[in-house]
Amino acid sequence: MATGIADKVAIIGMGCSRFGERWDCGHEELMLEAFQEAIADAAMDKPEIEAAWLGVFFQEQNSGKSALPLSQTLRLPNIPVTRVENLCATGTEALRGAVYAVAAGACDTALALGVEKLKDTGYAGLPERTKGTFEDMWLPNSTAPGSFAQLASAYAATHKRSIDEMKQAMAHVSVKSHANAMKNPKAHLHRKITPEQALNAPMIAYPLGLYDCCGVSDGAACAIVTSVENARARGLKDFVTVKAMQLAPSNGYEMSDSEWDGSYTVTTRLAAQRAYREAGIKDPKKELDMLEVHDCFSITELVVMEDLYLSEQGRAINDILDGVYDADGNIPCQIDGGLKCFGHPIGASGLRMVYEMYLQLRGRAGERQLSNPALGLTHNLGGIPVRNVASVSVFGLLAA
Amino acid sequence: MQNNIGIISFGTYVPTMRLQRKAIADAVGWATPGLQALASGSRAVANWDEDAITMAVEAGRHCLDGFERASVGTVTLASTTLPFADRSNSGIAVDALNLNENVGNADSSGSRRAASSALIRAMNVSGQDKNTLLLAADCREAKPGSVQELTYGHAAAALLLGKNDPIAVPIASASIHRDLVDQFRSRESSFDYALEQRWVRDEGYFKIVPDAIKHVLEMTTLQPADIHHFALAGPVSVAGALAKKLQFDNANVTNPLHDEIGDSGVTQPIMLLSSALARAKPGENILLVGFGQGVDVLIFQATDKITQSQAQQKFNQSIQIKNTDDNYIRYLVLRQQLDLDYGIRAERDNRTALSTFYRKRDAITGFIGGRCTSCGMLQFPKTPVCVRCDETDTQAPESLAELTGKVKSFTEDWLAYTPCPPLIYGNVTFPDGANVMMEFTDFSIGELAVNQTVRMAFRIKDFDNKRNFRRYFWKPAPHTDTGGKR
Repeated sequence: MATGIADKVAIIGMGCSRFGERWDCGHEELMLEAFQEAIADAAMDKPEIEAAWLGVFFQEQNSGKSALPLSQTLRLPNIPVTRVENLCATGTEALRGAVYAVAAGACDTALALGVEKLKDTGYAGLPERTKGTFEDMWLPNSTAPGSFAQLASAYAATHKRSIDEMKQAMAHVSVKSHANAMKNPKAHLHRKITPEQALNAPMIAYPLGLYDCCGVSDGAACAIVTSVENARARGLKDFVTVKAMQLAPSNGYEMSDSEWDGSYTVTTRLAAQRAYREAGIKDPKKELDMLEVHDCFSITELVVMEDLYLSEQGRAINDILDGVYDADGNIPCQIDGGLKCFGHPIGASGLRMVYEMYLQLRGRAGERQLSNPALGLTHNLGGIPVRNVASVSVFGLLAA
Repeated sequence: MQNNIGIISFGTYVPTMRLQRKAIADAVGWATPGLQALASGSRAVANWDEDAITMAVEAGRHCLDGFERASVGTVTLASTTLPFADRSNSGIAVDALNLNENVGNADSSGSRRAASSALIRAMNVSGQDKNTLLLAADCREAKPGSVQELTYGHAAAALLLGKNDPIAVPIASASIHRDLVDQFRSRESSFDYALEQRWVRDEGYFKIVPDAIKHVLEMTTLQPADIHHFALAGPVSVAGALAKKLQFDNANVTNPLHDEIGDSGVTQPIMLLSSALARAKPGENILLVGFGQGVDVLIFQATDKITQSQAQQKFNQSIQIKNTDDNYIRYLVLRQQLDLDYGIRAERDNRTALSTFYRKRDAITGFIGGRCTSCGMLQFPKTPVCVRCDETDTQAPESLAELTGKVKSFTEDWLAYTPCPPLIYGNVTFPDGANVMMEFTDFSIGELAVNQTVRMAFRIKDFDNKRNFRRYFWKPAPHTDTGGKR
């Protein structure tokens, strides 16, 4: 009988590079920046790491395929390294690999590292890529903003809200994240914006304007995990444990069945239900202290608040405008600045979210430290609303 | 012409985009002020994703509306602007029209008479029970600042020929080949090289056409006065002058549609024949003239089935849907006459995996999905396992091409590359459960809305400029009966 992973694995060291247009860095420097912080934090020697997982998405513009970029850059002593890719959930998937290995007892200590070097394409936005030999023949040559923008038109139709009303809430989402990022030196964008700026920004993909879109940047993030027993043996107290890591990929329903109304993400709901069950969360609205969700676009954050069962269906607009998810609200969301201000180096993002959970739970978030958070959630939505991979993970403190 | 083959149906297609001729003259008139004399009305312009094949498919669908597609046994696609020199262009149309792969199909080219000559040949074929679909389409580009840029128009027309209940039957036909090179386009050039119109009129239209018409009339008992519709593919002024010369009633000259379309090349005779059929009463005679290095002349007589065809409404429907534009630069860009900088994103390599295409050609060209025989759900693409009931290998092929869809969600994307920004795409639902994310076409900014009804159109999906290839797929387009602004 499976017993799950809750409270079996402790995160004992984390690192995160500065995110941004790192013209001076390649993937190697970014990986090293995150790793050195993590291993110092864990107070550990490299040979203690028994296995590693590397998350990279755009291999063509980045490090290339396979485990080798990590194994070679860190000069790991020929330990098993697995490269994973699962769209925008890639970083979280690297961590899931490491956590599962430790939870299974296959090793005591494992490393997860995600990296993405996006700013070597020479143009703005995410790199162009093929969707597959058959898909390229019929699917639109869509972009990420255009694919997510459709959530807005469908949400407005389903819930009978006007696009103008939605744009107000979407602007609030971005204004809030920009304000939060002002207190985070590792964020890419450090600039306060006003709702008017957000509302009047150039159109990228109707109805998403420039400030409804997250940045594009380079970055890396890293976690060192070990068994709870090992953490205790190392004399650690009040350490952060993994409460749940759940993943739900689309099975083609959204893409092929007219029944889905296009206004929500099916997979986030499924992953959230499973994660809450795994973490023993009965009332997420009351139990969760903070969130790092996949705010690739403001509209995504808006609908995800409902898909995570935090806002009532059709009510996220109101909750957002009421400040429920602001830094001083009931459940602060993107307290670190989010994808909005960190940008979205795909392989790194999931681990960057966990990094903020880790800092906040250990009271090390500096100026933006929340008051005694005990439980936090991270969420990724990889792909596009019609076909995607959603991950929902929960992290919290475990008393020694 | 005693083998009982007649015209069963006609269909026409004119791209919705109409460029005002004045916009052209205003833009280039500084260099060639004489063009102002031609600057009235508007000309039809194919969208960036249209070519002779896609327009022919539209005309074919219009023509076959209400007829069993299984009745078609032969398909000819006539055009001087076929996109492929070696790949059956008519074959692509056959697949897009979801016709049986056993049809005999052929491309007909090399002359503006490609369609009118093919029509004569089809009329003279006997012993065939199945119908012939004649598709005519031309998408001729003209050199910026040329007379042709103002006078040409892009359009397609189609005829269904066969024995059952024809709306018109042939009376007589004749052809003359005479190598008067009024204009030509060599394989190496993109544009026509045209000689002085006065010479073409005097030595060509005024001499060759009368010879052929005289010959055809002699084959019958008809007199000029018996011709109720004189449909001549040629310059606007020539038809009237010739009618007078040949003692046809000037009132019976079929409008060459200069103000609405322009000279549509190979299409023009079939377009004018369709226009005449749209107005013909039972028993009336139509004389059709196709011109180019000689002449084709045909006489048809409308039958008593003509009124049943609701011909007038059908014809007008295809002409009247239009979107008038005065942006000359946009026209140049859409027709690839001006190479606008679309940025690095546009450098994407659109190489087509042709072995994949071969496996999936029904899905791509015929928009064939699968209907689950277990739960009844329609889905695209057709897959091994039903998305709704989970049964394996239960999906029977079924095309979505003739279904109307409903917009579930959409965006206007200014980041994605398209020759005509923004790229508009979204999810479209179809009856019985299907949902497909698709690229829209022919919609202007702000025109699309959720729940809007859309029709499907066969269009160019992508160009592969590295290899001079193009691939096609279906796109939702404005539905004529439903509007909707957000």
